[in-house]
Amino acid sequence: MTSATITRPKPRRDWLPGTLFLLPTFVLFALFVVYPIIYNVQASTLDWDGVNIGEFVGLGNYTELLKDPIFVTTLKNSGWWILLTIVPQALIGFFLALLLNEKIRGRSIYRAIFFVPAVLSPVVVGIVWQRMLDPFNGVFAKIGRATGLEFLTKGYLADPKTAIFAAIVVNVWMWTGFSMLFYLAGLQLIDDSVLQAAKIDGASTWKTVTAIIWPLLKSTHLSLLLLGIIGSLKTFELVYVLTEGGPNHASEMLPTYTFKQAFQLQSVGYASTISVVLLVIAVVSSLSMVRAFGSGFLTGDDKK
Amino acid sequence: MKRHKTFMAIAAATALSITLAGCAGGASKDESDSGAGTGTTGELTFRSWSPIEQTTKQMVDTFTAANPGSKIDSTIFNYPEYLVDLQTRASSNTMPDIIGLQPGALTQQYRSNLMPLQDCAAKTWGADWQSKFYPIGIDQARLGNPEGDENFYSLPLLVQTVNLWANTKIFEEKGASIPKTWDELKSTVDQLKGGEYAPFMLPAKDSWLRNVVFLQIANNVAPGLPYEAEAGTKSWADPKLVEAFTYWQKLFTEKIAQDGAIGLDAYPSGANQFEAGNAAMIPLGAWWIQQSDPSKTGLPPLSEGMSGYQPFLFPTIPGGASESQFVGGIDVALGISKNTKNPDLACKALTDFIAGAGAQKLINTFNDLPAVTGLNPEKFTSDKQKQIWNTLTTEWMPNVKYSRYLKSPEMDTALGDALSAVATGQLTPQAAADKVQAAQQKVK
Repeated sequence: MTSATITRPKPRRDWLPGTLFLLPTFVLFALFVVYPIIYNVQASTLDWDGVNIGEFVGLGNYTELLKDPIFVTTLKNSGWWILLTIVPQALIGFFLALLLNEKIRGRSIYRAIFFVPAVLSPVVVGIVWQRMLDPFNGVFAKIGRATGLEFLTKGYLADPKTAIFAAIVVNVWMWTGFSMLFYLAGLQLIDDSVLQAAKIDGASTWKTVTAIIWPLLKSTHLSLLLLGIIGSLKTFELVYVLTEGGPNHASEMLPTYTFKQAFQLQSVGYASTISVVLLVIAVVSSLSMVRAFGSGFLTGDDKK
Repeated sequence: MKRHKTFMAIAAATALSITLAGCAGGASKDESDSGAGTGTTGELTFRSWSPIEQTTKQMVDTFTAANPGSKIDSTIFNYPEYLVDLQTRASSNTMPDIIGLQPGALTQQYRSNLMPLQDCAAKTWGADWQSKFYPIGIDQARLGNPEGDENFYSLPLLVQTVNLWANTKIFEEKGASIPKTWDELKSTVDQLKGGEYAPFMLPAKDSWLRNVVFLQIANNVAPGLPYEAEAGTKSWADPKLVEAFTYWQKLFTEKIAQDGAIGLDAYPSGANQFEAGNAAMIPLGAWWIQQSDPSKTGLPPLSEGMSGYQPFLFPTIPGGASESQFVGGIDVALGISKNTKNPDLACKALTDFIAGAGAQKLINTFNDLPAVTGLNPEKFTSDKQKQIWNTLTTEWMPNVKYSRYLKSPEMDTALGDALSAVATGQLTPQAAADKVQAAQQKVK
């Protein structure tokens, strides 16, 4: 009889390298994402000026926020902003991309021209558009007076009923080139044989665009939608320069109101509460989209 | 499973450690971030939104040249960015040694981080040091101090009046006179209408500008009443203050201000338009004299030696004070971090910036009016510039009695919002006054 030696398998250590590789990312994530969120949530429970010792008020800031008419205005404005920037930007950007995807003379120059506003500073864009829209001495008012087009002479930024929409128009002007670029990239990925087949089958241009190209760009639409929602929620510079959130808070957005509360009214606790709400809205919007369209929509993969 | 547990443990430990490392709501320990020194040597940090970078550099260079071994690291921000920087630094215990402050709310917010400055002032300028300053500067330096706290946590660097400016070229061309009463203002505006310029350009997008114009009107209606309302001894709904809101409203309803006034900002748009000759009158303040800074090249013709401008006070209101009232106060004040490692050097630099060689450099640029009396630019580029400077510093500034600020940021905001609502027709003057009074009752 020979003695058999039983060798116990060595404990597997293959998890270690993986964890170590993840560690730097985790530390950065914890430091720059988790920690600010925890800090903000904690600050939102305080009556605090950001410098001196804060007083714990529990959910008091949240209760106050729900009763705050300016906060309600910021939510309404965010809704308008999401609706009226994403759709027009996508449609105009899509048709510009279709046009500039054709072999027309000087298309690179046109592409650059349409994309330029997206790389400009929102502060510069805001100052220039504020002057252009000035009903006393702005370009639009001068054209309006010269041509008799009365609507061009109105003070859209000075009217509480129209200020937010004027800001939205400027935003659409600024970011349409960005949507165009996305669609141009998407159009490059469409297999030419599909379009050729449609042509052979006698599909009209309109039919080709609406029934083939538009559906094939689904991942681009969804990427722009997600970026548009997040971008709308965090809009700050353009509104601050154009209207400062006025007149009388009529064009106030969540970030401009947060800034005013934190740094002008010295209510860092209340501002943190607005930030937490903003974070919740952003997370819920993003998760809802992932839930509705699948996590693969950003990469163009099938629904996962 | 074990792998998962280990990872979770690391995650929990990291999250806990960073959470414990810094929590919201604690007071900062305020450790100045500069190196220690003795007396006149060492390093200081200076952060502010004013004076402008170029002028600050001249002030710093002058100071460091006169104090070998000293070094000042200075950074000038835009005002909103400065507020963010200051709050972040205060929270992270890296307060600069010398900071720019506004009187009232901003100084009070950082009061616990600031060193009382009266000893520094007395040591430098003598026991009667307060007499060196314009009285409104001394009053406002302690604005909002708790009762019984007589410390100076900031000292004024620059002061100003708030007033109107006229484009004298337009006035001369039209044969118009500077208006002294409300009726004259209306008739002058009518006289100046029809040109390519705004007779009365009101860049009312900015809350601060709305407030200073209103305070000029309100003090002309009933001198001192807005401050009594803020102190709680009178109401914002007092008929006299409602009348002030009514006159503010008339600027818009009677077409005194240009179309779209509530959408135009003072800087850069309003100021640029006025300097380009697109307005006959504009409400700004004494600081407008900085447009004629001799160190600048390529000045617009109107600004060259202030040749095209004349300051004047907001016209009197029917039934109100017989003379226009002087409204103004501190433009910029300076404070010292209480934990500075170089208190002597910081005191020396601060007092030099306010009334020494550094201050001379500052005033040579006509940045605004000095906080101390008797400090004048070394060079004037025209007699008109000198005449305006003398008017502002010797006739107006010593007589400023009423503050351009309210004490609390809540009231500042409530007033600015109410004025905006009146201007756009959302509120009547009475409703606006009631709303401001309601905000007043909520202020702690």
